[in-house]
Amino acid sequence: MKVLVVDDSKLARLSLIKSLKEHEPSAEILEAENGEIAVELFKSENPRVVFLDLTMPVMDGFEALKLIMQIDPKAQVVVVSADIQTHAQQQVLALGAKLMVPKPINSDKMLGVLQQLVF
Amino acid sequence: MQIDEFSEDHLDVLKELMNIAMGNATASIADLLQAFGTMHIPHLAISDMDGLKAYMEKTIPSDEKYYVTKQLFGGMFGGEFIFVMTDESAVNLGHYLYDVTAPSDADIMDAVIELTNILSSTILSRLSEELNTKVQFFVPSTELMSGNELIGHDETLNYHRIIIISTLMEFQSHKISGHIFILTKDKMIESLSRLIDQKLEELYA
Repeated sequence: MKVLVVDDSKLARLSLIKSLKEHEPSAEILEAENGEIAVELFKSENPRVVFLDLTMPVMDGFEALKLIMQIDPKAQVVVVSADIQTHAQQQVLALGAKLMVPKPINSDKMLGVLQQLVF
Repeated sequence: MQIDEFSEDHLDVLKELMNIAMGNATASIADLLQAFGTMHIPHLAISDMDGLKAYMEKTIPSDEKYYVTKQLFGGMFGGEFIFVMTDESAVNLGHYLYDVTAPSDADIMDAVIELTNILSSTILSRLSEELNTKVQFFVPSTELMSGNELIGHDETLNYHRIIIISTLMEFQSHKISGHIFILTKDKMIESLSRLIDQKLEELYA
């Protein structure tokens, strides 16, 4: 299973991947540090799941989410963000995100996320 | 420890933790203002006094009036929290919170202090929690001053080696925004570095 992890912070990517590997040790991980790289990787690699941050340089998560959903309306995008405002959550869900999870993500949160995805 | 040992990894960790803390703070202020706040990417830099002065000159226009609130905080991660809000933003804040067309100076000052309290306590408590440490808050003070006075203010610039953490808090619908600066220096940088190392060790374990 290919999983794309998108965050400008190396720490955020590392901790998310660590939590993911605890539950899905065989997952093939792709990493992107902004939305623009994420969209390109999504096109070329067609990952099963995308974990997407919102506040990033070059292209933010809102824009990347919009483009990813245009490429594949069935894409499973999980937004992982520090922006915990209700409005932000409503916005990403309206754009097609499957779930929104507040940062920082840990093993328990990851398990809850994985249980809601389709593999 | 030499300041140079504060690596890119340390800065990356601090930036991400600040992002998380800022998310919490933005949500709290969004509740207070019943509005949606835009989150900006925090800026982090290791600097000296000249660098701090240049950064503040670039960020804070010198010809405007600002409400400047400063608060010292202590613990293994200690330093100074500074919130800088334009006169116009502060009036808009007072107008909104007190529901009056022309808030008095006392109303504006009170509103700015309340907002800063929420910001500093939320951001610093969350940062400290993520770093597995505790923070002690000291009484804040607020002054109305020009950008020139802020930049030239001796107390603000009384640092030798500094980590500057800064970001913008912005609620466009209410025309309310402000700059947040968190400054930490010298020995505090050493203890902050140790806290981040512990965080990284947990991650790589």
